Amino acid sequence: MSESPSTADAAAAAEPTVEAAGETARTVIDNVEQVIVGNHEAIEHLVCAMLGRGHVLLEDVPGVGKTMLARSIARSFECEFKRVQFTPDLLPTDITGVNVYNQQTGEFEFRSGPVFANVVLGDEINRAPPKTQSALLEAMEEEQVTVDGESYPVPSPFTVVATQNSVERDRTYDLPAAELDRFMVQLSLGYPDEADEADLLGRVVGDHPIEELDPVATTADLRAAREATGEVTVEAPLREYVTRLARYTREHAQLGVSPRGAIALLRGAQARAVLDGRDYAIPDDVQAEAEVVMAHRIRRSAGEGTGAELVAEALDAVAVE
Amino acid sequence: MSAPTADATGGTAADGDRRFGRVRASVDPVRLLALAGVAGLLGTFLSVLYRVSDVAGDVSTFLLVAVGTLVVATVVARLVPERVAFGLAALLLAAGAYVYLAQLPRSVAAEETLVLFLNDGIELLTGLSVLRIVNAGLWALAATPAPTFVAWYLALRRRYVGAVIVGGAMLTLFVLTSDAGGALALLGVVAAAGAIGFGDVERRGGDLATAETVAVVLAAMVTVALFISVVPTGGADPLDVGIGTDESTVESSLTNAGDSVEILGSIRLSPKARFTVTSTEASYWRVGSYDRYTGSGWIRTGADRPYDEQLRGPAGESRTVQQRYTVESELTVLPAAWKATAVSESPVGLFEQPGGGLGPDGELQPGDTYAVESERPVASAQDLRTAGTDYPDRIVDRYTGLPDSTPDRVGERTARITANADNPYDRARVIERWLENNREYSLEVDRPRGNIADAFLFEMERGYCTYYATTMVTMLRSQGVPARLAVGYTPGQQVEDDSWVVRGLDSHAWVEVYFPDQGWIRFDPTPAGPREAAERQRVQQARQSGGTGVDTDETRNRTFTATPSPTPTTPTADGSGPNAGTTPTATPTTPAGNGTDAGTVTSGALGPNGPDIASPGGGGSDEDGGIPQPTREQTVLGLVVLAGVAAGVHRSGAGSRLYREFRLRYQPRTDDPAVDVARAFDRLEFLAEKAGAPRRPGETAREFAARVGGDGPDERARRLATLHERARYGGGVAAEEATEAVELADGLVADRPRID
Repeated sequence: MSESPSTADAAAAAEPTVEAAGETARTVIDNVEQVIVGNHEAIEHLVCAMLGRGHVLLEDVPGVGKTMLARSIARSFECEFKRVQFTPDLLPTDITGVNVYNQQTGEFEFRSGPVFANVVLGDEINRAPPKTQSALLEAMEEEQVTVDGESYPVPSPFTVVATQNSVERDRTYDLPAAELDRFMVQLSLGYPDEADEADLLGRVVGDHPIEELDPVATTADLRAAREATGEVTVEAPLREYVTRLARYTREHAQLGVSPRGAIALLRGAQARAVLDGRDYAIPDDVQAEAEVVMAHRIRRSAGEGTGAELVAEALDAVAVE
Repeated sequence: MSAPTADATGGTAADGDRRFGRVRASVDPVRLLALAGVAGLLGTFLSVLYRVSDVAGDVSTFLLVAVGTLVVATVVARLVPERVAFGLAALLLAAGAYVYLAQLPRSVAAEETLVLFLNDGIELLTGLSVLRIVNAGLWALAATPAPTFVAWYLALRRRYVGAVIVGGAMLTLFVLTSDAGGALALLGVVAAAGAIGFGDVERRGGDLATAETVAVVLAAMVTVALFISVVPTGGADPLDVGIGTDESTVESSLTNAGDSVEILGSIRLSPKARFTVTSTEASYWRVGSYDRYTGSGWIRTGADRPYDEQLRGPAGESRTVQQRYTVESELTVLPAAWKATAVSESPVGLFEQPGGGLGPDGELQPGDTYAVESERPVASAQDLRTAGTDYPDRIVDRYTGLPDSTPDRVGERTARITANADNPYDRARVIERWLENNREYSLEVDRPRGNIADAFLFEMERGYCTYYATTMVTMLRSQGVPARLAVGYTPGQQVEDDSWVVRGLDSHAWVEVYFPDQGWIRFDPTPAGPREAAERQRVQQARQSGGTGVDTDETRNRTFTATPSPTPTTPTADGSGPNAGTTPTATPTTPAGNGTDAGTVTSGALGPNGPDIASPGGGGSDEDGGIPQPTREQTVLGLVVLAGVAAGVHRSGAGSRLYREFRLRYQPRTDDPAVDVARAFDRLEFLAEKAGAPRRPGETAREFAARVGGDGPDERARRLATLHERARYGGGVAAEEATEAVELADGLVADRPRID
């Protein structure tokens, strides 16, 4: 399992094929599962989001391993990982970085903030005020950061994994819909079941396994996999199917899935196809990603049920060929 | 997908014109159907008016008026608001009424206009045919524009209910006047229902699929009307073509026919004694005449007048004939020798018919007697030859008209036959003789469709008096000679020197021709011998079967010998007249007078045995005529039923189910592998549908395939689903893979795996 990074690098970088990309993804998933117990689906969704160039929002109660998941993924890819703890007094420059005066050269020089990394973990993102949250937004959407009128590109690949607590909602700033829309998927991990939890406890006795986690792929592998994902065939009937799903949510909720959401769903489906080793996406791929991609973008009136329920309804109602 | 018809969702009346313009740009098929319904309804009453114009007017003028009105309505509907349009319609109506009144003959117009209108209206609504109106052609022209305009205008403005009310009112009028038959009325009702139904579908923004329901309902209307008849007689059957029922006799169809005579098919003779007449000489006992020929029958136009004690005699020389009639069984007519000048001792009131006949205002009972004094024209052949053609206008107007639809060949053949005759009298004689010699007498006739005279002249070989007389009148009129159909009784059985017993079977039809200064002269183109033989045979049959009322005291012990028809009132034996020899088509084989060999002519027609001379109701038509031709109405109604059945089949999905059932077992290959794979997968889906576990809308091919197979998923189904995915989403499949898919489907269909 602990394939040497150099060989993986060589194989993947040479040829951005679906086979290679799928191999990379599966290797990473297996690797992460050494640390994270009983959350296979969440791991798959997260990897899919990374292949589909998306960002991830993890919402759950504290202590279920949100941070651990983000860290293991980052470690498996052997990429730069940084973590920002969002607090009410956090300033935008604490994320992006600041220009400081260099007394030796007599010039201002940019000292980059934590956002300059391949994987950025924004912990408890809803604790910071919107101004600070929006500092992350530009990086997510534009893959660049602007400080004092100067733009600095973030490293590539660049993935934001943000978490927020679903408890203690006082003294928090809910993410606005516009910001939520920029997260490709929203996941929740949930408590592990009894057997998994016992297994988990057994593993953490002594050294935490994450300390021993070896990288199994390089950033080059990830870039190649992303390229291969983008090449996955999406035929017209599938595009129409995704469109119909999105339209269905718009017709049945206050706020439905935006075109950006539909694009995200197609990318997710492509990534799913890669996981399955296929070079074309099928409705099953769309259905697998539909809930995590669409549910958090839907706003329904009180008493109408959740976004996830509407997505399930759409999957039942919208005809697939 | 329904964007072009988005205007159907409505808008306020204010933007009506704009809406209208948009609809023009994109044609909504449902709207077309609704308009077709209104057009069909218009067609029913316009077809009646067309027929009226054909018989009594000018068809081309009528068509010009009708089409012109439709065009004007179409233009006006786009430009003019409703109030103005209704004003226009009222104007049209007033103009029509004015034109009609202005052209009325003096004698009629003298009456108060309002009274005239009211009388006409009441008479029309109580079953008086429009064709009985003297100026029916003009009436049709005057009545056409207003309702046509309003109905079509409203239909184009989407006011289908209004359009149907107007069109339906016109059709109802013609149903009441009995000008529109059952089939036509049914057609009109179906068209009206279609217009309203489709119009409603259109208003609700429905598409063709919704309109199918309406089509099914229309078909049901026709079918139900066919099989369920409220009145258990033939009259309630809207598709009954057979004119003539079991009770048809020559008498009931002619002398008792009232104002109109419908020419029938096969017919019987009634042996009942009707009346005894004591007269100074034998004559035809005439009961009436008919002036308007419709192509399929005769109509007496104009209104009856009360009898004022004294009638004018014929214009030329005449001889007085005194007659006394004793009624033997109920009579609704008043037989009298032509031309009656005075009737005395009548037990009931009398009226004078247009054309000079007399009728009783009630029923004459057995034992009633009345006396008639007649002036019988005695003009010689020479007088008639030299009478000239200086006909009065009223005679020409009334007695030379033929339906516009009469084929030209009638006139052409008549002209050929009468080529050697240079005056109306000789023409009449030649035609009379030609018909006597070239057509056989028979009571068993397949009534032809279309123009009777044309058929009798060109297609038929035999017929009875009505056919002979009708044809002769038509031939004469085609040459511009005024002529009319007269009906009544032949002299009957002579029981004493001056006494005759007349039976129902003596009823007859003949021809009267007008000669200036001489009046109406009788001609009889029916060969007398065969007719009398048929009558004699019928009397004998009736006597043998013990029928009552056949004989009076005088006739009981005598053998029946009909009085030979008195030679038509004019001397004919003179050799100077055009004789048969001059007629190129004359054949000498036809029996001439006394009917010794008449039996051979008629035996075939009368049948060797059986109480009825002819099988009634045209029963023979199926044997020799082959498949009967449907009428136009029947064809259209049949098409309505067909369309409804097609819509019903389509709607119920029976057609597509049958198709899929077939496609399940046999899949034709195409050049396109993707199509082949899709069809193969369809077969699997249909299998699931039949197994009661159809593929759900949101179910992907994979999920669906996983359900196929009893113990664990069926690998073939999974493979087929994969191929389907590849064909559909994966950029296509190769021909071998298509073959594989078809074979997989074949195997699955053969095995019928369990599908949960």
